[in-house]
Amino acid sequence: MSITRKRRLITAGTAFMLSIGVVTAASSVVGAGAATSTPGVTKTQITIGATVPLTGIASAGYSDVAKAANAVFNYVNSKGGVNGRKIRFIMKDDCYGTPGFGCTGNPNVVAQTHALLAVPVFATVGSLGTPTQDAVRSLLKSNGVPQLFVNSGSRDWNNPGTYPGLFGWQTSYNEEGKVFAQYIKATYPSDNVCYLGQGDDFGADGLAGLVAGGISPFDTQFYSVGSLVATQGASIAPYIAKFQADKCTVAVLDTIPGATDAVLGAALKLGYSPHWIISSVGSDPVTVDAPFASAPFPDPEIGAVSFSYLPASTSTSPWVPWMMKVLGKDTKDFPGFSSTSTITGNMAYGVGWGVAFVEALKAAGKTFTRASFLKTLTSTTFTQTPSLTPLRYTKSDHQGLNGGYLTTIISSTKTQTLTGKIVTTDSTSTGPVVPATKKSSGIPSWLK
Amino acid sequence: MDPFLTSRIVSDVLSGLTNGVIYGLVALSLVLVWRSTGILNFAQGAMPMFATYLGMGLLSYHLSYWPCVAIAIVAGFAIGGLTERVLVRGLYGKPEINPIVVMVGFLIVLEGVAAAIWSTLPRGLPSPFSSIDWQLGGKPIAMSDFTVYEIVTALIVMTAVAMLFRFTKLGLQLRASALAPEVSRLLGVRVGRMLTIGWMLSTAVGTITTILVASNFFTGLTPQVMDGIFAFGFIAAAVGGLDSPVGAIVAGVGIGIILQFVGDYLNSNAIILVALAILIVSLMVRPNGLFSKSTARRV
Amino acid sequence: MSMGGLRRQFGLTLLLVVVTVVLSMLLATRGHSGLVLAATASIFIVSVSVLRTPGLRERHPVVSRAALTVSVIDASLVATYFFSATTNFDLATGAAMSIVLLGLSFLTGASGQISLGNSAFMGVGAFAMAIWANHHATTPIVISLFIAIVSGALVGLLLGLPATRLRGPYLAGMTLAFAVAFGAILSSFNSWTGGDGGLQLPTAATPPHWVTGLFSSGTSLLTSNTMWLADITILATGVAFFFMANLFASRTGRAMRLIRDNDVAAELVGVSLPRTRVIAFVVSSSYAALGGALWTLINNSVSPSTYSFALSITILSLVVIGGIGTIPGALIGGVIYAYSTSVISWITNQTGLNPQGNFASQLNGIIFGVLLILTMLFAPMGISGAVLHRWRQRRANSQG
Repeated sequence: MSITRKRRLITAGTAFMLSIGVVTAASSVVGAGAATSTPGVTKTQITIGATVPLTGIASAGYSDVAKAANAVFNYVNSKGGVNGRKIRFIMKDDCYGTPGFGCTGNPNVVAQTHALLAVPVFATVGSLGTPTQDAVRSLLKSNGVPQLFVNSGSRDWNNPGTYPGLFGWQTSYNEEGKVFAQYIKATYPSDNVCYLGQGDDFGADGLAGLVAGGISPFDTQFYSVGSLVATQGASIAPYIAKFQADKCTVAVLDTIPGATDAVLGAALKLGYSPHWIISSVGSDPVTVDAPFASAPFPDPEIGAVSFSYLPASTSTSPWVPWMMKVLGKDTKDFPGFSSTSTITGNMAYGVGWGVAFVEALKAAGKTFTRASFLKTLTSTTFTQTPSLTPLRYTKSDHQGLNGGYLTTIISSTKTQTLTGKIVTTDSTSTGPVVPATKKSSGIPSWLK
Repeated sequence: MDPFLTSRIVSDVLSGLTNGVIYGLVALSLVLVWRSTGILNFAQGAMPMFATYLGMGLLSYHLSYWPCVAIAIVAGFAIGGLTERVLVRGLYGKPEINPIVVMVGFLIVLEGVAAAIWSTLPRGLPSPFSSIDWQLGGKPIAMSDFTVYEIVTALIVMTAVAMLFRFTKLGLQLRASALAPEVSRLLGVRVGRMLTIGWMLSTAVGTITTILVASNFFTGLTPQVMDGIFAFGFIAAAVGGLDSPVGAIVAGVGIGIILQFVGDYLNSNAIILVALAILIVSLMVRPNGLFSKSTARRV
Repeated sequence: MSMGGLRRQFGLTLLLVVVTVVLSMLLATRGHSGLVLAATASIFIVSVSVLRTPGLRERHPVVSRAALTVSVIDASLVATYFFSATTNFDLATGAAMSIVLLGLSFLTGASGQISLGNSAFMGVGAFAMAIWANHHATTPIVISLFIAIVSGALVGLLLGLPATRLRGPYLAGMTLAFAVAFGAILSSFNSWTGGDGGLQLPTAATPPHWVTGLFSSGTSLLTSNTMWLADITILATGVAFFFMANLFASRTGRAMRLIRDNDVAAELVGVSLPRTRVIAFVVSSSYAALGGALWTLINNSVSPSTYSFALSITILSLVVIGGIGTIPGALIGGVIYAYSTSVISWITNQTGLNPQGNFASQLNGIIFGVLLILTMLFAPMGISGAVLHRWRQRRANSQG
């Protein structure tokens, strides 16, 4: 490029910049007024969003959760919406914050949350993952966007003082641990109990619950998800060998499905078969049995005990056929779902909080703001949701469900309630596990 | 005798040996390629993985186990040969970074295409031998029918490769082509063909290794199945010396046993850290590998 | 240029500045926004006119580069005011990545060494930033970034020293092992690094009042905060590129290129091989650490899963495709990084593929891998290399 041409370009660029400067100055005279209506809400539509693992490492199984909630929203929209408003649910794929493994979304949950805020959304509802949702708490708070029904059992969502717009949904890991403790004390009072938990607050909270319920494990081990992935499950084998050497006849697992598989495989290899007690997070038989499907022996998970705050797939709750209907109608999210398909734990989970949101929306009334919506949440008890116990928040408790029942795995696809007794507890270390007095009661007529 | 055999130390040695022969086989494949063509094959885990999928995927068409294995190995030969002909031919004599980048790209493509066709869900492979550990007096020994099969297969493969190189005319030609290509050409050796055969052998060995690894029933076959093992195999090859087949195997077995002890007595994080430390220390002491015959460039 | 011509140019510049200042003060309503506008525009005018001085490039190359850097930074800062929060966020992410790419590009192109460990060095910077902030919340951002850079340099030194004697594949393997081991290293220091969940910054980086005041009162916090983060990143990127351009042209840079092309000759000429190699390695790791620290700032958090080996491969791919050893190559790579996911989801939509289906989820990887192979086989100098080559050819043709 010759000297004069370069100079001409630079001059042109300068003129351009100057004119931009003038325009800026001029436009600052015309100030845009603030939007006074509630963001994400119009007369006919409410827009909500969630960051979920649709692809990538955590997507097998977990991708069904938000889709199941979407099925609920589609069903409600087909009946005219809630208070005249249809629900627009935007799912952003954050790959559980982990790149690779076939991730097509953006494995940066902050970026995906920014994208949701830019829409704008009324609230984030049903975003999944403890580390991912921890990372965006302050972002959402500083922008005044409610963070509702986080899909995780951590106690991080129960912090109304610092995060008034943050709400959990499922029964916490801590409470689940206490229920397990009560079961072990009653059924295996003199056995050695060994505990394997995930090396983050999933394991820490679960163990705390177990201990609070009166069980001190003979051996406690924690695994890291990173090592699990890097060694393809082999890093767990030494822990199971230790449990066998400890002569533990009861083993409690706070594990994700991939880790549950590694444990069961290692145990099979060693010829070790204790009574397995597995957290609801990692016990869904459809997911856990997949690697053993072609093996010549029966599913090693059969007979294990787990916990559920939603009706088991074999239960007689009226919600089960309702779920079948709603999931079957959503052919985009669940192509080929028919009357012979199985509702997995993940699908039931999604339906659970999907219905919760729809009912909260109805209770909020025709006109609401973010503030009034949150007030509705903390002053209403939702008794007609799929969960076994009612959903109740208060000003000082944003955790969510606080009960459920024990289940047992009876086949490679089905679970069944163990005793049929629904129990509740709280997240303190002294609160006992007691039979639930309030139980969920049926489907509201406007949802049928 | 029983308490000794089921003791923790012996269990670790046996498990470490089982892992170690796998690392040794991977390291051997890397050495085969390096010695014959002077290229570090980053796709050494992915190419056999693809061949394994091609062969074992036929299981769902009700073909029985051993024919599928045979097809997978043939696919391994084919993929190795094709890769050398198409991709690698253009890379001889280019700067060192070129083949590394191309093979890394090939690795990404292979894993991506495998996942696109067969998805990333693990597929259990039926195992011809039981993986349940033998029990001695009610306690398990870290040996099962399957681990014996693994070790025996690995030994057979290593011996076969050694015999090929040492006692056959083909082996002589392969060694000559790598060492002195111009002279070999003058003597009538089809050097180009030898290079291709080197890659074919390497991928075939890799395929056998992958089938052994993936038959571990709680791992299954995934597109990423060889990623971690490639890393340890590479470390073994680098420690032993990229031009030394004996070094590769010895280093592989040694590293397998050491890491098993580390994983058992320390924790799973320590495994890769110790492996990294072994690599750094050995490269500082002998930058071309412990068993390498060439001396390092004195800089 | 004659003295008269130089005086004319100076006079013209002064006139333009005065006109701009007066216009800005008159037109702007909110008090200080006029000042900001005046300052920004004046800096731009001055730096551009310095750049236009003929002969500057040959006689005072550093000043010329400085002027170019200042004008580009200035223009970009103004642009961020107009961009949406999402665009600013993507821009910042891409700019930070281009810093990392520049570091690796320099290492590979300028000194011929291969490193597959830059994701780990990014992680070092990212975590250093987060850990420091969690213990000393009031440190100014510039100091925290500097601390992150120094951490990256130290770790680079630790790894670079044993690496000096290693040939290509062995160095690649060692850096690969480091990248793979980085997750385990983080895990071992759980209490410092926050385990699988990572760390959050105690306070989000918020702009000072004079910046927030530039916006009308109804603008959301998100817009001004993101603009501020983008601005910081752009400033850091400009400084990093400026420094690298000078390093590239300096004696050290020339020594590195000599080593890359013929290390025996370099030795003969008196270049110290180990020392130069280590310098290159440390520079590359420091740049990666800066990029990682900026990412922590932008996301207000750091997570170990981000800095995995997969990221190292992405970095390598971008460097190769953008163009090894060139400055525009790093910028191109940064742009590709910021927009590749959007482009690929656009492609997916156009072709009607199921976005969560098997094929679409692997498209990103497959396209990158194929691009990498094709680039290396047919255009080893990448996009910027190919463009530069064609530009030089055309110039030679037009002059011949």
